[in-house]
Amino acid sequence: MLDDQKFLADLQDSNADVRFAAWRQAGQASPAVIPQLGKLAASSQPGSAKAAREALATMTHAVGKDPSAPIRAAVVKGLLDLSGDGYALPVRVHALRLLSGIAGPDAVPALVKWIQQPDLREEVVFCLERIPGPAAAKALLAAYRDAPDIFKPRLLAALGHLRVAEAVGLCTEAMRSANAEIAVAAVKAFGRIGAKPATPPALPDPKTLSAWQQIERLDGILRYAEARAKEGDAAEALRVYRQALERPEEHWQCAAVIGLARLGSAEAAAVLLTRLNSPNSTVRITARNAWKSMAASKA
Amino acid sequence: MKTSRRRFLKHTGAAAAGGALLFDIVPARALGLQGQPAPSDVLNLGHIGIGGRGRGFLRPEADLGKQVPAPPNLGGEGTRFLRPARSMALCDVDAQRLDMAATRVGGKPKLYRDFRRLLEDPDVDAVYIASPDHWHALHTILACQAGKDVYVEKPACNTIQEGRAMVAAAERYGRVVQVGSQGRSQPAAWQAANYIRAGRLGRVRKVACWHYASPAGDWTPDADPPPTLDYDLWVGPARWVPYNPRRTHGSFRWMIDFGGGQIRDRGAHVMSIANWIMDADHTGPVSVEAKGEPPHDGMYDSGVTMEVTYEFRNPEWTLIWAQPGTPSTELDARYGAVYWGETGNLTVTLGDGQGTATDLKAKDFAAHCDCGKAFKSPGHAENFEDCIRTREKPIMHMEAAHRVASLCVLGNISFQLQRKLEWDPVAERCKNDDEANRLLSRPGRGPWHL
Repeated sequence: MLDDQKFLADLQDSNADVRFAAWRQAGQASPAVIPQLGKLAASSQPGSAKAAREALATMTHAVGKDPSAPIRAAVVKGLLDLSGDGYALPVRVHALRLLSGIAGPDAVPALVKWIQQPDLREEVVFCLERIPGPAAAKALLAAYRDAPDIFKPRLLAALGHLRVAEAVGLCTEAMRSANAEIAVAAVKAFGRIGAKPATPPALPDPKTLSAWQQIERLDGILRYAEARAKEGDAAEALRVYRQALERPEEHWQCAAVIGLARLGSAEAAAVLLTRLNSPNSTVRITARNAWKSMAASKA
Repeated sequence: MKTSRRRFLKHTGAAAAGGALLFDIVPARALGLQGQPAPSDVLNLGHIGIGGRGRGFLRPEADLGKQVPAPPNLGGEGTRFLRPARSMALCDVDAQRLDMAATRVGGKPKLYRDFRRLLEDPDVDAVYIASPDHWHALHTILACQAGKDVYVEKPACNTIQEGRAMVAAAERYGRVVQVGSQGRSQPAAWQAANYIRAGRLGRVRKVACWHYASPAGDWTPDADPPPTLDYDLWVGPARWVPYNPRRTHGSFRWMIDFGGGQIRDRGAHVMSIANWIMDADHTGPVSVEAKGEPPHDGMYDSGVTMEVTYEFRNPEWTLIWAQPGTPSTELDARYGAVYWGETGNLTVTLGDGQGTATDLKAKDFAAHCDCGKAFKSPGHAENFEDCIRTREKPIMHMEAAHRVASLCVLGNISFQLQRKLEWDPVAERCKNDDEANRLLSRPGRGPWHL
């Protein structure tokens, strides 16, 4: 272990090389110095503040590889304290970003306390998204109910990113929101999760959406089909691709023929066949290439 | 909404069915008479990010109908002419840059601050993306979603997950995506590729890149963003930091979150050629170990000095990125790579807009043998625009670009964590390293998500 007082003094040295040498050794420092590093990270001396931030990062990385590292819990606890009310906002943000790399499920209750704080909630969600396991996902789900409308799309994005199957019901409900931002965010999350709901969802009416939201809506549906195909639910994927194929837009037709070729079934091939002579050259070439790749994969 | 001829054709796919109707209403000029290219032969381009790099892709309205030489910094040989194209839509978060680009293009391009408005425009066929690095992934993915073919500047992505999502988007929509590591389109890289692939060096066991160090930077106070800049949109999906002129236009590169230093900037050129020559476009290393130092002071955080060692298997070879490293003794250049084989070595320098050079022996070999193995690109932009028509994959396709960017990203992660990473290039995960695996993705911010 380092001499804590010398370590802290070196981080504030006027010589940048001395500060650097100190922060590089921070992996050997005691987690007991974390509160002092938090204060130093808010210093008006930018060199000392940087050295303290880098020291915190080095301590974090030193315990980051192995979740069972002996002092990892102490470092997490120290960083959780820094994320609390007693520290300057940039320090709290820095602590949350570091926690995103090492915090485990045990840290979730402490983190979620700040999720309704407007100046911190984005960082809390960022941190939760990186914590593996169901605890963070459950916390995000629970936070949705009390979140203001402006933040609901962000929470939906996190649930989609984490592919939280338990969030499918929430997504289908949110798709019916009168707020188009929420409704489209729900379709996007739904597509990324890719789980089939108990009853077919009522997708937002395209007429109520902007041009961009319509693009996002369709992308969500295509991702859903892709996920269903990966799960072996070819019938559901085929249903979606058939619909996409009827759209006038060239790239949705292309996406449909590519999806059909990936399904590779006789039924999918029969649908794909109808586009091999499409008058649109991009669709035609894409369909022919897809057909060839499907045939090659069967050979 | 007014329906243009292009929009009608693109969205109905009814050229054959509606042929007679179109024949009746299309004026002579539209058929390519009067010295003008037919509109259907003209690529309608959108441009996202038109600062220093992005301006190089603009196609002025006044050039339409003229023979426009291909830019020499994008590879190819001899004098070549670009396919007719017009820059019909321009987008930048900085109004000042937007105005400058509009003046340069002439005519009446559509101007946008929000790239989504540009991507919605069905008249835009393809986009050139030269936004800051932290935007490359989302701009590309969303452009694919909107049905555009994409030329995006390197490095392809800032995280492994971004790169994989870009590959998925290009494949999902069947879009052509060319990434701007143009070294592969330069004749010297092609000569070197043929020379090495023909076994003229024996088996290559080591590729050693050299490059000068990144700047250390200083302290510049944060400030209010200039009124012409939409700073929140500039930050986009990255973690929020207050505006600072020394980490936005031009100098964002020295921040890990935005640019990632020399290794991600020039590494995406030099190591792109290495991956191409070594036939590693669909794989990756099994270990990555970075050493070196970040700035001791100042606001930047990317490595000033770095030496990153990548070990590949099946076949076994080692790639080294070193800034500074050991320059070639054969050719004088500020960066490049030496390919060390069993029977000799070969230098390939640069690989970016400054051109590429290689040893005379590779040039002679290319001139005097049947070198049919490596694809010879006509030039990076021409290759892209050819592929728009043929729907083939361009020379720096998305999977290849993702694999090159992965080298850069993993080098930085190892550098940040100060430890060796064991990498599974199939699963694209680190072995036994929880924190490193979390750094393979970066959750988005606000509305910006993969």
